[in-house]
Amino acid sequence: MKQTSIKQEAERYYRDSVERLFQANPTLDFEQVADCLTTSLLDASMAYGLIFREHADRHLQTLLETRITQSQKLEAVGTLAAGIAHDFNNLLGSIIGFAEMAGDDFPEDSLGKSNILQILAASFRARDLVARILTSSRQTQAKLEPIEIVSQVRESLALVGVSYKPDLLINFDAGIEHAVVMADPGQIQQIMMNLCINAADAMNHKGEIFVRIDSAQLDSGPGKGKPGICLLVVDSGHGMTPEVQERMFDPFFTTKALDKGSGLGLSVVHGIVTQLGGVIGVQSRYDGCDRGTEFRVYLPLSDGQNSH
Amino acid sequence: MAHILIIEDDLQFREMLVQMLTRDAHRVTVACDGEEGLQHARQVKPDLVITDILMPRMDGIETIMRLAREDCKLPVIAMSGGRRSISAEFNLESAGMIGVKAALAKPFSRNDLRQAISQALI
Repeated sequence: MKQTSIKQEAERYYRDSVERLFQANPTLDFEQVADCLTTSLLDASMAYGLIFREHADRHLQTLLETRITQSQKLEAVGTLAAGIAHDFNNLLGSIIGFAEMAGDDFPEDSLGKSNILQILAASFRARDLVARILTSSRQTQAKLEPIEIVSQVRESLALVGVSYKPDLLINFDAGIEHAVVMADPGQIQQIMMNLCINAADAMNHKGEIFVRIDSAQLDSGPGKGKPGICLLVVDSGHGMTPEVQERMFDPFFTTKALDKGSGLGLSVVHGIVTQLGGVIGVQSRYDGCDRGTEFRVYLPLSDGQNSH
Repeated sequence: MAHILIIEDDLQFREMLVQMLTRDAHRVTVACDGEEGLQHARQVKPDLVITDILMPRMDGIETIMRLAREDCKLPVIAMSGGRRSISAEFNLESAGMIGVKAALAKPFSRNDLRQAISQALI
């Protein structure tokens, strides 16, 4: 309605201008006056279009540069994590060794011995954590092999869970005990980590994320008709608008602050799931009532395998 | 008990190994890198060598190969925590290919070390 009235107003200005020009230039006929005005308007329109395009190009260039920097930053963080993890192994080696020897100097059942055992228990936990960090930051070509996915998911969740305790809990429910899929263990870890990190961010790191694994039949994708598994990740966060859902798998698309998200998480998940012959689906509502988001990842079972 | 040559560039880790092995009544000689390790091996004729893989000057892989050239019967245990982009697994797999008797990924426990020594000295 408003647009229509602006258009009418513009047309009125145009008619008035033609009329004023026509009266001020009695030597020109009406068509010549109209041409003069239209030509200058077209020039203005083209100039505006050009400025707009240059502005858009500059904006796009800035965006691209930011994204390249982010991607390089991610790579650097991965390399750094691997370097630190390896150095930690050397340090932990000394801590564990000296602690074991220190334990020899205390009588059994003494407080000193018990404290040393605590140091050792913590050091071995740190060793496991370092091993997991190394697995998740490993930048090697994915090696697909038959893996037992229920235990792999459980292990990946343990790693993610450590980062969010105690305000956010991950509740894992295994509807099946055993299922073998063709994948790289690191890929499963990436899927679980990225989905859980997004879920946690949507819930401001408070509450409970539900994860369930079940047997399922694939009804689309290259594995259509094959038996498979369904991984369900449900949060009670703010949900996603239809516009966000439309773009959520785009590389570098993010709704998070610049220093909070790279926009690569879901695109990586999508890439992995597709590579493994699976499909990913989402259900989400964004109406201010924190109805949450539900991701479903379907992966085909390794040939000749059954889940139970 | 055995005479063990430790080749390790990390001072703290080396000191820890010395104490651990001495407590188990082994005789210990230490070297800070591969070159020094080779010299000591020639001089003291150890029963067993425990060497790190990533070290300055001469790394563990080259050290193991040279030790084998000089005395093919000398048992060697390789250990690695990896560094930067080279993983411990990769280092230990490489060491395995050139005939080490046992491989230890850092960090390891005293039991892991004792088992590796028993395995290497059979």
